Amino acid sequence: MPRSATRTVLVTGTAALALLATACSSSGDGGTANSTSTASTSASGAPAAYQSAHKGGTLHLVAKSAAGSLDPQVNYTLQYWQLYQGMYDGLLAFKKVGGQASFTVVPDLAESMPKVTNGGKTYTFTLRKGIKFSNGKALTTDDVVASFERVFTISSPTAGSFYNGIVGADACLKKPAGCTLPKGVVGDAAANTVTINLTAADPEFPYKLAVPHASIVPKGSPAKDAGTRPLPGTGAYKAASYDPNKALKLVRNPYFKEWSREAQPQGYPDEIDETFGLTVEAEVTAVENGQADWVFDAPPADRLNEIGTKYASQVHVSPLTAMWYLTLNVNQAPFNNLKARQAINWAVDRSAAVRLYGGTNLAQPVCTVLPPGFPGHTDTCDYTKGGGTTWKAPDLAKAKALVKASGTAGQEVGIVVQDDEVNKSIGEYLQSLLTQLGYKATLKPLSANIQFTYIQNTKNKVQLALTSWYQDYPAASDFLNVLLSCGSFHAGSDSSINIAGFCDKTVDAQMQDALATERTDMTAANTKWGAVDQAVMAKSPLVPLFTPKLVDFTSTRVGNYQFSKQFYMIVDQLWVK
Amino acid sequence: MLAFALRRLLAAIPVLFAISVLVFLIFFATPGVDPAARIAGRNADPATLAQVRHTFGLDRPLPVRYLLLMKHLLISRDLESFVNRGSRVVPQITHAMPVTLSLVLGAAVIWLIAGVLMGTAAAALRGTLVDPLIMLVGVIGVSLPVYWLGEVVNLFTQNRLHDSVFAWVPPLGYVGLTDDPGQWALHLLFPWLTLAALYAGIYARVLRSELVAALNEDYVRTARAKGVSERRILIRHALRCSLIPVVSLFGLDIGALIGGAALLTEVVFGLPGVGKLTYDALQNVDLPVIMGTVLYAAFFVVLANALVDVVYAKLDPRARHV
Repeated sequence: MPRSATRTVLVTGTAALALLATACSSSGDGGTANSTSTASTSASGAPAAYQSAHKGGTLHLVAKSAAGSLDPQVNYTLQYWQLYQGMYDGLLAFKKVGGQASFTVVPDLAESMPKVTNGGKTYTFTLRKGIKFSNGKALTTDDVVASFERVFTISSPTAGSFYNGIVGADACLKKPAGCTLPKGVVGDAAANTVTINLTAADPEFPYKLAVPHASIVPKGSPAKDAGTRPLPGTGAYKAASYDPNKALKLVRNPYFKEWSREAQPQGYPDEIDETFGLTVEAEVTAVENGQADWVFDAPPADRLNEIGTKYASQVHVSPLTAMWYLTLNVNQAPFNNLKARQAINWAVDRSAAVRLYGGTNLAQPVCTVLPPGFPGHTDTCDYTKGGGTTWKAPDLAKAKALVKASGTAGQEVGIVVQDDEVNKSIGEYLQSLLTQLGYKATLKPLSANIQFTYIQNTKNKVQLALTSWYQDYPAASDFLNVLLSCGSFHAGSDSSINIAGFCDKTVDAQMQDALATERTDMTAANTKWGAVDQAVMAKSPLVPLFTPKLVDFTSTRVGNYQFSKQFYMIVDQLWVK
Repeated sequence: MLAFALRRLLAAIPVLFAISVLVFLIFFATPGVDPAARIAGRNADPATLAQVRHTFGLDRPLPVRYLLLMKHLLISRDLESFVNRGSRVVPQITHAMPVTLSLVLGAAVIWLIAGVLMGTAAAALRGTLVDPLIMLVGVIGVSLPVYWLGEVVNLFTQNRLHDSVFAWVPPLGYVGLTDDPGQWALHLLFPWLTLAALYAGIYARVLRSELVAALNEDYVRTARAKGVSERRILIRHALRCSLIPVVSLFGLDIGALIGGAALLTEVVFGLPGVGKLTYDALQNVDLPVIMGTVLYAAFFVVLANALVDVVYAKLDPRARHV
């Protein structure tokens, strides 16, 4: 999941955090919990029935700043992806329930899961009847076809990575203006079906259809980023107004009728406002005073004690499928040397990083690229003192020996981190560690808003960087293939997501094999992804540090808190009445 | 006189031009801020990136890009933010202006009244304990950083004492004067006081020293000799003359503050004014908005300077030939 810099958790360790663990309700893997509500999701993952007694009221959310364009096919931030859940629909959707079931894809605008034929290359969807956009216009197959063409016309961020497998996508990527997909996305108005043809089978395609970039918007929507002008959607809510300097206001879509409770449930509040402009400090205070209902930004470290003790019942802590990690540039000295890279993996104390992040209640040390609980993850740990499957302690002696053997001691290493408290403190720790290992380490803190574009620009020759990755959808390739395949490394580009520059022919072949296996057998494929993970770790292009947890702080008015692992708190299912 | 005023205003144009070029160049000299990669989104395909680069004209030579930017900002006035796409820069500034004006003018009234009262009282009571006491209070006001003072004010009014003494304090933010005048004033009360605390101290000190100097002037001695009362001398004679430097100082301060120098006050109190707009744009390195707000700020500073010069020239003919 892409996340704006502001959402990157800015918390540091305090003894007080221990309180969070005992005092807070938590949303773990098995389901949901909330202090003020009964469980809203059954064990099977089916959503609870609508409780009209809780309908109504205005939910007031606060965020430090807006997240840019409101166009669902353009915006790539968690902040709005979370809100799009109640506003827009795709052919498919992630189930809108809390817990593990939220990773399940269910039919949304399509009346059932697609018929997959032609060796996994053809998907046929039958549209539901009677669905209308928030402008009153009925949804037709034309809208679906136009929406997929629009993904390319407007150069959607994932046009080239998620949807490039659609027949005709290549031409559209090269020449977006006037993009048509006559053979790729075929609508049949009479049969009310839409057929999508792919150039090769893609078992992850249903996931890609369930994220907001595949939202269906009316045919005739602007052929460019709609920006601050809201596009009509089919969800339970529509945007009534949007000013990035003030607020985003959602009201009920008058044409909405619930067609699938698990895909697009009727919402509870009559209005959802997200206002922008307060500092995080002021946001937390506003929730404490009952002036706001939820804080988008992570609560600051010095307030955690207060909210963990005085407002414990309003805090929700949930584990995330995400990874904080260090990238080691395999194309730059000293990390073009395998031994030097391995030395760093042996030396880094994950527990120290966890402490700096906020303690064991907010993060868990990891050894692998795939986060715990993620498809393909296996408990292995190549770099821990004494061996074993979980991380225990660093092995500095081994690291020093490797540095010596690599002959890279004495070289200069620049560490690029974001300039906030947590990132900088981890950076300072790394600097001292590298110095201890015999390198001349310098710390380069950059503004949180530009650090990511800086480190993924290959021209900047970043040797070591601290960054994070949050899943887009629950598939192993979203970590391994996206972050570490040859295809993700673009030399000479300022958008090279494979920041380590890792391109290993053998590992890449393994990835292709795992992708191919997904077409026939997902379980077998996930086993292969597990092997890829270990093969990558052996080459050590990155150092996984920890998997973070999320702290949500809600007001006393709020009930029915549910945490979707895919899109986080389910906003429109909150009760304010 | 008119020619001088015109000349002075025309001289502002090269200043504004130089500032705009500087802002533009600094932006492109800063590493990692090339907007294309950020606009295109994480993990964008190189083809998509190239498309974005082309659509935004980012593949054109720097001078052309500068001219395009200025054309969109000043001529067609449809320059759009790089971060909040679709959001136009000029309306953003015009919407933020009333907030800044409300804050700055309200605070100005408070600090002028407080500054004049404090300065006059200190000068009148010099030699007593009251004088250094007032000056000490002034220095404290000047020394407290506005963001710190603002946070402390918030801590008490919004947090610690919000349930008791300050239960009447509304949440942070802004309510338009035309929407609800009462709420407008209530929302701005603490921002006004916070901002005024800084300037009242400065004005009190300036005024006091001017008054003390004036009270030693010949015309004061003459007035005393004529038997004019001390109170009348202080207010009618000395204060009137001493206010001239205060007024020119005020012109410059107001120019800078309306231009966005009230940034920290706006940030701390969540007021969506020009300062806050500038702050957010700087945080996101949003060049079009930075360019818009910086030019706007520069315009007000240059304008205030020019006005002060014109007023000086009006008062003192010798200044017209400088």
